[in-house]
Amino acid sequence: MKKGDIILCSAICVFSALLALLFLTFKNNGKTLIVKVDNKPLYEYSLGTDREIELEHNTAVIKDGEVYMLEADCKNQICVRTGKISKRGECIVCLPNRVILEIK
Amino acid sequence: MPSEQGNSRDKVKRLAVWALLTSVCLIVGYIESIVNLFFIAPGVKLGLANSVACALVLKDDVKGAVAVNLSRILISALLFGSPVSLMFALSGGTVSVTAMILLKKCRHLSVLGISGAGGVLHNIAQCAVGIVFIGIGIIYYLPILLLSGVVCGVAVGFLAKLILKRIEKSGKYV
Ligand SMILES: [Zn+2]
Repeated sequence: MKKGDIILCSAICVFSALLALLFLTFKNNGKTLIVKVDNKPLYEYSLGTDREIELEHNTAVIKDGEVYMLEADCKNQICVRTGKISKRGECIVCLPNRVILEIK
Repeated sequence: MPSEQGNSRDKVKRLAVWALLTSVCLIVGYIESIVNLFFIAPGVKLGLANSVACALVLKDDVKGAVAVNLSRILISALLFGSPVSLMFALSGGTVSVTAMILLKKCRHLSVLGISGAGGVLHNIAQCAVGIVFIGIGIIYYLPILLLSGVVCGVAVGFLAKLILKRIEKSGKYV
């Protein structure tokens, strides 16, 4: 471990903390959910109404202004484990099924 | 004539070592895909397979580092991946190995710093690919990706150091 290592690593840590702070202050609650399949926007739903969205391979849920992937038949289950999203710009991605849930 | 023979034997030996290291990478990568670090951010991995490339860079075997890393990425994409996951792996892998090769020349950094920076750049490259393929929303993951890149990178560097020590002890590597 050299001095340069410590300087470099702590600089990156400080930078990422500042960036996180910046993002947190500018993050807003989103209003609509956009469902994209094969990178094409297919459906739009308001986050105001709770509902379940059945897609070919995935099931998404809107509840209390938050969106999550309830079920997916993909092998890695990354989309299901991503958890809830609600802020503008956040998304849940199911790469194997080419499904994207994006908040606008 | 004998010298040429010795030379080609060295080449074969070197190729065999690269192939061995590639298969080690694949197994480590597979184990990692089972044990996941999902509580940090979706898709975060420790990237222990990168320690092999890191060790090769430190041994000044630039060709080997590039060869092993590329074959690891291509083979694991064929075995477990998709074209999109290949894009992610390829961008992260090439950027981090290139960065490590360049940073190796910096006197002020040790293995840990070189590998830490490699990890960060790996994640920045993947974040950029994510923005292109998925959308600008991926940028929200950047802070956590930077942080996990440093932590994982330093861990990878530590492992690379151990690997080098073992290799040197056994004296088998040309
Ligand atoms: Zn999925």
